[in-house]
Amino acid sequence: MTRGHIVIEDVVKVYDPEGAAVMAVDHCSLEIEPGEICMIVGPSGCGKTTLLNAIAGFHDITSGRIVMDGEVLCSTASPKASSGPDRIVVFQNGALFPWKSNLENVIFGPVMQGKLARRAALDKGRAMMADAGLSGVEHNYPGEVSSGMRRRVEIVRALMNDPKALLLDEPYRALDSLTKSVMHEALLEIYYKNKVTIFFITHDLEEAIFLGHRVAIMTTRPCKPKKVLDVDIPHPRDYSVLTSKRFRELIEETNDAVHEEALKAFQAGEKEG
Amino acid sequence: MEVLRETTPFGEASEALLARIAAIAQPARYAAGSRIYSPDDPADDLFVVVSGRVEHVLNPELRAREALKRVTRGGVFGWTGLLLGEHRRLATVSATEPTEVLRINTESLLGLLAAEPVEGGRVLERFTSMIQREFTVPALLAKVRRLSGPLTEEMSSLSLTMYRLSLWLRSPRPYLMVIGFALFLGFWYLAVEVWKLPRFREMPGLTSVVKEWLSPAPTYGLSIYTAEYYQHILVSVWRVTKAFGLATLLGVSFGLLLGWSRAFKEYVFPLFEMLRPIPILAWVPLDIVMFIATESAVVYLAFLASFFATALNTMLGVQSIDESYVRAATCLGADRWQVFRHVIIPGALPFIFTGLQISVGVSWFSLVAAEMVSGQYGLGYVINTSYMMVRYPTIIIGMATLGIVGYITSALVRIAGDYMMEWRVRELALSER
Repeated sequence: MTRGHIVIEDVVKVYDPEGAAVMAVDHCSLEIEPGEICMIVGPSGCGKTTLLNAIAGFHDITSGRIVMDGEVLCSTASPKASSGPDRIVVFQNGALFPWKSNLENVIFGPVMQGKLARRAALDKGRAMMADAGLSGVEHNYPGEVSSGMRRRVEIVRALMNDPKALLLDEPYRALDSLTKSVMHEALLEIYYKNKVTIFFITHDLEEAIFLGHRVAIMTTRPCKPKKVLDVDIPHPRDYSVLTSKRFRELIEETNDAVHEEALKAFQAGEKEG
Repeated sequence: MEVLRETTPFGEASEALLARIAAIAQPARYAAGSRIYSPDDPADDLFVVVSGRVEHVLNPELRAREALKRVTRGGVFGWTGLLLGEHRRLATVSATEPTEVLRINTESLLGLLAAEPVEGGRVLERFTSMIQREFTVPALLAKVRRLSGPLTEEMSSLSLTMYRLSLWLRSPRPYLMVIGFALFLGFWYLAVEVWKLPRFREMPGLTSVVKEWLSPAPTYGLSIYTAEYYQHILVSVWRVTKAFGLATLLGVSFGLLLGWSRAFKEYVFPLFEMLRPIPILAWVPLDIVMFIATESAVVYLAFLASFFATALNTMLGVQSIDESYVRAATCLGADRWQVFRHVIIPGALPFIFTGLQISVGVSWFSLVAAEMVSGQYGLGYVINTSYMMVRYPTIIIGMATLGIVGYITSALVRIAGDYMMEWRVRELALSER
């Protein structure tokens, strides 16, 4: 597999809203292998979303560059990547269109891009929803199904476009811990079928270690990798990993680093976001 | 047992209940392509799919939003037997792959559920939501059997409308409404005709107004039997229709543009905000100078007021849209126009309709003001001339008619809104508002 190889090189992002420059991302370099689940862990407000926004093309960068599969997404010379269906974001609060049914949401990408005729898109959408355990809610509106289901629909909507990478911005933040663990397994199940590169932002260390091939622990503002952990628990994983010895060891190994950053963020009093 | 746990209706049942249900379940197999049942077959059993896949096609007259449904592991079908008064199948079901199912006799199941009224009731509730969500046939919901009370067949003769009507009648709402009206009219009657309160001395009383309104030969020439009465209504309604229609067309497009294009807003919005607070009556002299014909002068005034309300609300609607919807659409490959069409317009719709509710009211308001100043027909004209010619009951008739017609137009706008925003209606219904 050679799709979805993302290289972040020396990226700097300085916000300058009121003349007082704030460095959000500081010379950050990170390489994400094709088909890898790379977890980005850091306290709220550490600048990790800024990094995701740069990859997705929502914000420009100040310097450095981001390359995906040999194609330069953004660089010092052209600082803003263009958004497109090869890198799809799953948003923190969910961004399914509440005015479209779940199925209409799912087929949105291919129909807008003109890649599939409506009928073909509907068939593919139904099949993919069934695959993700979502048959039965196709004709419901997102507001009528549980938040866990909504997240799943959103991921299916992204996968309909056959993206190179999924960019997840704390998608399970608002869920309770029981739903969360169900969602983790569901995400892995979808991942094993689709093997797409996943760039996953979270502040939850257990979530990160449970899901990721690698976990990058970020420093708080400015944001850059403080420690990158290889999670040597073999995939496929299920929830029994959570009680395994190795899992606890990995948590212990990294907990201090995460806690230290959280403390720094707390003392700096950064606004969440 | 595990497969029962995976179904919607039994998913949250206790181990004990589940074990009892599992005990009455009979395994069965169907080859690919074989028909499991057809419409009008007796509906004795409920089916749970263990493996394989079946196609479930509901009869067209049930008006399911999606008649065809594929049912796989954990899916439940054959729930017709749980509906009151239905003993025959409502769908065609065939196996598309070699399929294993569990058959559960409906009557035995109901027996088990009735033995545990609380838990059993919950299972039936989950059946209700499954039938609504997965089989998309809201029309059948009211028929799902209830454990409390006798399982009589009589209820099945009630159509869904009757069921809804009876719910409404059992709620306090209609009675409160009647009490509200009665109190208002009663006070009017007492204040004018019985107590003869000082402020009300000159006012026409309830009885004289009603008599005049319903009289075939009205003293002052206007009642429900005179053609003139309807002509006034028609003229006013037609003027409001023109004004409101034009205001909606222009106001919505103008508001969308204001919200969507920052440059446009910077040019236009300050001017807009300066013109908006000018009261409609202040426009009258200019209006008369501009439009020689009284008809267009009246319509223009009504248009102006409702245009501002619609445009402002539409703009706020566009601005209220969460940035992530726009980002998500761009991510999914939508171009600027597609974002506008699929995100901006539907996203602004709730605000637009709030604006239209206000604007239809405002348009009546300014129409009547305009008709009182100039005009030869219309309800505002009726009120004004009746005042000058001391026909007091006719004033009240004009006012009451305005109230009724205004209420109807506003209700029409609300109905149109509900129709265009089904998603919102359903969301609100779920949060029980």
